[in-house]
Amino acid sequence: METKAAQFRAGLRSGLPIFLGYVPVGIAFGILAAQHGFYWWEALLASAGAIAGSGQFVALSTLLASGGSAVAAIIASSIVNLRYLLFSATTAPHVRKAKLPLLVWLGFSLTDETFAINMAEAKEKKSTPIRMAGVGFISWVGWVLGTLIGDVGASFVKNADRFGVNFAMPAMYAALFVALANNLKEVICGIGSAVIVIGLYVLDKTGLLVIQSYWFIIIAALLAATIATIVWPRDDKGSGTLSCAHDKVPDPLSSDASPDGRGANSEVTELEEAATSNEMLVGKRALS
Amino acid sequence: MTILAQNAILITILGMTVFNFLLRFTPLVALTRFSLPSVVERWLSFVPISVMGALFATQILLPAWEQSSGKQSIPLYFNPGIFGALAAMLVFKLTKSFIGGTVAGVVVFVLVRWLVGVA
Repeated sequence: METKAAQFRAGLRSGLPIFLGYVPVGIAFGILAAQHGFYWWEALLASAGAIAGSGQFVALSTLLASGGSAVAAIIASSIVNLRYLLFSATTAPHVRKAKLPLLVWLGFSLTDETFAINMAEAKEKKSTPIRMAGVGFISWVGWVLGTLIGDVGASFVKNADRFGVNFAMPAMYAALFVALANNLKEVICGIGSAVIVIGLYVLDKTGLLVIQSYWFIIIAALLAATIATIVWPRDDKGSGTLSCAHDKVPDPLSSDASPDGRGANSEVTELEEAATSNEMLVGKRALS
Repeated sequence: MTILAQNAILITILGMTVFNFLLRFTPLVALTRFSLPSVVERWLSFVPISVMGALFATQILLPAWEQSSGKQSIPLYFNPGIFGALAAMLVFKLTKSFIGGTVAGVVVFVLVRWLVGVA
């Protein structure tokens, strides 16, 4: 077992792509916030406290659209972030051993990206709660730093996209897709979710849909996971790497099942022998 | 351009911080105290890949599709985003490194964008 410091450092390394992805998005938020009357420390506080990419943009645009209603902004941002309930519940089985302060930090630093990296590493059995804390920390630094750069030095960074910085996040999603798809079922489930979300956007274009588009990802994910669970309610043996919480279940069951089966069979044979044999043998068996 | 009132900004920041934290922390602390039925755990095991599939679609496939039909009309088989994504996936598959995959994706994205001549 690695030391705590080594686990945390490993987490910082794992979270580095998130850092790269968050800086440009944080910059975008910083610029936008500065344009609409946020002091630099307010933009910083918003990013440091909420670390909610889309949630913060939604809060800002709701503030603008509602003529400055804080209640409307808080509600809108919470609705967008309802998906964190699901991510948090999914993470829970992997952090059973963590103490409360660590859980507080893991909850605080949970985002789409830290969630995805942590789950990918949990599948490879590399993840520990402390490592997850490191992933969360470097991501938080990237998000806050990006906001600060955007707020203070907006003019310097306007041409940053020339270097493709805005593609860092999508590129990381592509790598994460590969990391999270460990067997054919998961590949099908992920592609299914992608198809559903595209379907929702197509429906949205026709104007038939009354749902806000920030719901699409969560609807697609819930539907795909539900269908996958209905179609494949349990793991088969040898279906590849499974999640931590799950692979402990089938193995003991299957290894228990075969000795049990053999035991039952041999007992039946012994009893038959005893029945055909004399009473002394039956007595012996009963004693043993 | 609308300039927002200071108290609205501060209340929003505070409220957003508190509600976000509650959403993220509550299930985490509640569900580590007791275990879930196995069917729920099975369902949760499909959540990460489902979320990633949906994010992949909205961040890579949909923009590529829009670029193929919009003013720029970049054909799908020459889309910088799709090339970048494939590079990221391939490099991750070979190296198991997220940072390697991400950087490779960005480099290929910029290269293809330059070749196609999109600003």
